[in-house]
Amino acid sequence: MASKLGLAGGIPERRVRVIWDAIDSRQYKNAFKHVTTLLTKHPNSPYALALKALVLERMGKPEEALSVCLNAKELLYANDSLLMDDLTLSTLQIVFQRLDHLDLATNCYEYACSKFPNSLELMMGLFNCYVREYSFVKQQQTAIKMYKLAGEERFLLWAVCSIQLQVLHDNGAEKLLLLAEGLLKKHITSHSLHEPEAVMAYIAILEKQSKFGDALEVLSGKLGSLLTIEVDKLRIQGRLLARAGDYGAAADIFKKILVSSPDDWECFLNYLACLLEDDGTWCEETVNDPVHPPKFVQCKVSHLTDEQFDSQISNASDFIQKLQDDIANDSMRCPYLASIEIERRKLLRGKGNDESLMDAIVNYFRRFGDLACFTSDVEMFCEVLTDDKKTELLKDLMKSSDALSTTPSKTLGRCITLFKIQQLLVGNMFKYSANELEDSCIQMSDMYCKNLPLSKGLDPQESMHGEELLSITCNVLVQLFWRSKNVGYLIEAIMVLEFGLAIRRYVSQYKILLLHLYSHFGALSVAYEWYKSLDVKNILMESVLHNILPQMLVSPLWSESNNLLKDYLKFMDDHFRESADLTFLAYRHSIYSKVIEFVQFKERLQQSSQYFVARVDTSILKLKQNANNIDEEEGVLESMKYGVQFLDLSNEIGSKSISFNEDLQLRPWWTPTSEKNYLLEEFEGTSYCHREVSIEEREKSFQREIEKKSLLPRMIYLSIQSASSSIKEHDEVNGSVSPKISSELKLLLDRYAKILGFSLSEAIEVVMGFSSGERTSVVSCSNLIDWLNFIVFLNAWSLSSHELVQPESNGSKPHIWNILDSLLEKYILEVVKSMEPHICSPWNDVQLLMQIVTEPLAWHGLVILSCLRSLQPSGKKKKKSGSADQSSSNLAHAITDSVQRLSNVLEEVRKWLREWSKRPVEENVDSILAPLRKNGQNDGPGQVYQIFETYISTVNEADVGDRIAQSLKCWSPAEVARKMVNGKVKVLAEFSTMCDSKIKLLQSIKQQIAQT
Amino acid sequence: MTTIRRFCCNDLLRFASVNLDHLTETFNMSFYMTYLARWPDYFHVAEGPGNRIMGYIMGKVEGQGESWHGHVTAVTVAPEYRRQQLAKKLMNLLEDISDNIDKAYFVDLFVRASNAPAIKMYEKLGYVIYRRVLRYYSGEEDGLDMRKALSRDVEKKSIIPLKRPITPDELEYD
Repeated sequence: MASKLGLAGGIPERRVRVIWDAIDSRQYKNAFKHVTTLLTKHPNSPYALALKALVLERMGKPEEALSVCLNAKELLYANDSLLMDDLTLSTLQIVFQRLDHLDLATNCYEYACSKFPNSLELMMGLFNCYVREYSFVKQQQTAIKMYKLAGEERFLLWAVCSIQLQVLHDNGAEKLLLLAEGLLKKHITSHSLHEPEAVMAYIAILEKQSKFGDALEVLSGKLGSLLTIEVDKLRIQGRLLARAGDYGAAADIFKKILVSSPDDWECFLNYLACLLEDDGTWCEETVNDPVHPPKFVQCKVSHLTDEQFDSQISNASDFIQKLQDDIANDSMRCPYLASIEIERRKLLRGKGNDESLMDAIVNYFRRFGDLACFTSDVEMFCEVLTDDKKTELLKDLMKSSDALSTTPSKTLGRCITLFKIQQLLVGNMFKYSANELEDSCIQMSDMYCKNLPLSKGLDPQESMHGEELLSITCNVLVQLFWRSKNVGYLIEAIMVLEFGLAIRRYVSQYKILLLHLYSHFGALSVAYEWYKSLDVKNILMESVLHNILPQMLVSPLWSESNNLLKDYLKFMDDHFRESADLTFLAYRHSIYSKVIEFVQFKERLQQSSQYFVARVDTSILKLKQNANNIDEEEGVLESMKYGVQFLDLSNEIGSKSISFNEDLQLRPWWTPTSEKNYLLEEFEGTSYCHREVSIEEREKSFQREIEKKSLLPRMIYLSIQSASSSIKEHDEVNGSVSPKISSELKLLLDRYAKILGFSLSEAIEVVMGFSSGERTSVVSCSNLIDWLNFIVFLNAWSLSSHELVQPESNGSKPHIWNILDSLLEKYILEVVKSMEPHICSPWNDVQLLMQIVTEPLAWHGLVILSCLRSLQPSGKKKKKSGSADQSSSNLAHAITDSVQRLSNVLEEVRKWLREWSKRPVEENVDSILAPLRKNGQNDGPGQVYQIFETYISTVNEADVGDRIAQSLKCWSPAEVARKMVNGKVKVLAEFSTMCDSKIKLLQSIKQQIAQT
Repeated sequence: MTTIRRFCCNDLLRFASVNLDHLTETFNMSFYMTYLARWPDYFHVAEGPGNRIMGYIMGKVEGQGESWHGHVTAVTVAPEYRRQQLAKKLMNLLEDISDNIDKAYFVDLFVRASNAPAIKMYEKLGYVIYRRVLRYYSGEEDGLDMRKALSRDVEKKSIIPLKRPITPDELEYD
């Protein structure tokens, strides 16, 4: 092509190199200068124009860039003699892509390919365009053309991948597999295959059609020899044999893998599944969510006869025994864990007994009890034991531990394991009395301190011995807090982790626990700081952000929330933008398996629940931030197309598939998902805190939540409109848009009511019932905000609609408006009056209060502002009729009354907030530390804290080394307490500012009303 | 107890417990995906019972002539699974692939000069400090380029230490 001849798009390359250099070094002005000069010489060169467009786009002038690009495109199309090279097209492509006009780039390539049907380079560009558009059918067609033209293996495989992608997206496309198979077969006959990935793709095509025999033939033939990693090949072979139902042969293959890598646990499970002919492992339908595979090995009751079962199990036992005898490496756990799994299978079959299983676990403990992973290794096996047996097992483990003597670090490891097992086995500590739990906390913290000398010589980067003791202690203390509601335990739990972090500041496990504790305590800004210290970025945001985001979104820390949302959305959107290019990279390097994987992964992220939430919440946050100024709010609404897009999301979310990508294992026991916090519930004895969450359940409740949330922007918009036409409606109906607004708002109110579990008329009845002042069981903490929002929108609707007949209320103010004001008043004052402004007061009510003020009350404020605006004379003053005059004055009264009531209630909040800030920090610090100071008491919180204090005062520097000694010296509980105080106060201060500006707003409304 | 298999995209959503470690970098997506799209055999993950991610290794193979070599970009193990020689296992795997499949001359890696535990571990695995790269890490900390010769480098020429330290722009490969 032209560029290869030293010409770029028909222009000498040296002339364009300066432009590219300037672009690469981000000197866009300079680049622009060069490109202008170039254009004087080549005014009609599409390439020069494409370069200009590129520079313009980089300079932030998208419109100009687009018009230049279109110009270049026209020239390309108009003049047949012009060169149509890939360089020009790919430059245009870059600009079009950045301007979100992939279709235009595709058009250019399509046109070019029709002009030069034999250019492989252009076709590759076109293929790339289709990859970017995820047009699998067109990808396939283009690849086939290229294959026909060049006969190259890779182009055939591009077509095969495109077929696989079609099949994945459309079950009806399965017949295409036959086509792919046929193409491959034909090619193999004439040319064979040369890339290992091509062979894997061929096998995948056969396997997808359940042609296991054919796939096995390929694998064992000449083509199979291209797969160079032997174990990978064996794994495929084993899987194919098992899927074909040839369990005996499959078991032999897995056995072979185990002989060469005896530590391969998955392989052992496959081996056992084959021996017992457990086909559940192999059918595709049972494939679980790959991001959250089950912790426990699912197995069906084997259909084998008793004799067959016995014989297979004895085969497995013999083989495992042999493996154990043969391995020299004492860190290999698999063959020993395998013995436990065999016992478990026997038990499930009704053939074994608890004792043998327990013995196997005890044996495993003797060998590996000191390892940090022991507990998670055996977790699944303990599940099959009854509670009594679990207690017995714990005793057995303790007994066997006594008999083992080894190095101090191993002894410590085993002790930690016993504590962990204790938590795991005995139903999350529920069976213990408070005193027993306190004792174990004392033991663990004491053990932590006493073992610090073991870590003396360690590099600060390395994990220390016994670190887990502090996280377990924290878990137990939180349990004590839950039971007793004694906040001292919560503070002590925080102290324990802070102490650990003072000694070594890198322990992420502590940080995650801490950020949840600080969130619960209300020191959200400190939680946020700890979150930041985890340096969560890129893809980690998708799996870790859930630890902090939900509580931030309902807090007044708007700028921090904004940062979190912005970083996250940027990451996701960047990925969606670049993902196709990386898919194409996989095509180019013939890594076909990754092509499929990349496309599926991108889709998974697009369906991410967190991504949906982040998009909706970013908009809601913007609306909250601008709610004090109706003009600005309308600007925000305009920028989100008046909420129409979110309305679409709300309509569609029920039928969308959603992916949950959070790593929930990271979360503490008391809040296994962001929707659940056991600490807000009553402790009910020995109930079990479920960690396992049903995906279906989450999906349903998530869809409801998004459906509801994404109605908000549109409902806010319609409410403003509806309120603004409340006067005009009485005045004249002609030409007014209000009937439309009103009917749409009604429709959305109907939907909102449904989400609350009622029909619209029922929901209105509930609302009317509020006026009697009786408590209703319908409203609870968890749906209060939703109900208040509903009433705000209902009120706005009733202002312009005559449909709702309202009972007469106090003179001029509509009944619902009155109800709304009283409810806001009631719920706000309830919190303010019920809660002492004490640093240790529970936080969830404060959180609710902040939400009432920043959400329903803010939306209500907008409705009032809109009413006010409709009262004010606009440009052409119309002569008002008598009835309009009457309604204006009624409205003015209603506004005045409402504003007065809301001001009063916010003044109360402000007074209450001042009480918080009035107390000196040191006094608050004392309040925090007070429950930890023991005065001769031997129970309650503070015992662990005392252990640390005593240890620090007696520690011998030489024992623990300089670094640890230094950290111990710097440890200051008062400093931590101060941090807690400041963290809470900061959140309250932000809230206070919000209240202030709301009060100011209400005052200015009052003044304006007085002037109308 | 380790099933070592190719790393796949979904593992990116499961490796938080490994990557929250302060010394483990979480790269941007195009970095991971480029490695997956170009050197899938150099990107492996170790999975334990209960389908837990224990650790992973990512690397590549590059260079010309006698500097054709395997490179370890990252190797990391979750705290729960440390002190079990898992890193060694993962390193051996990458070395095997470089040696037997790609016939490379050596394997190299960069490590922070301050990361004493890691340097010690690599030395135990047979790596030697080949040269120091000044201010390699964000223009601040020096990096050490450590190498281990493979069977193709019969005379072990690739690992004869350089006398003088180099600057990052003197590096042949990124």
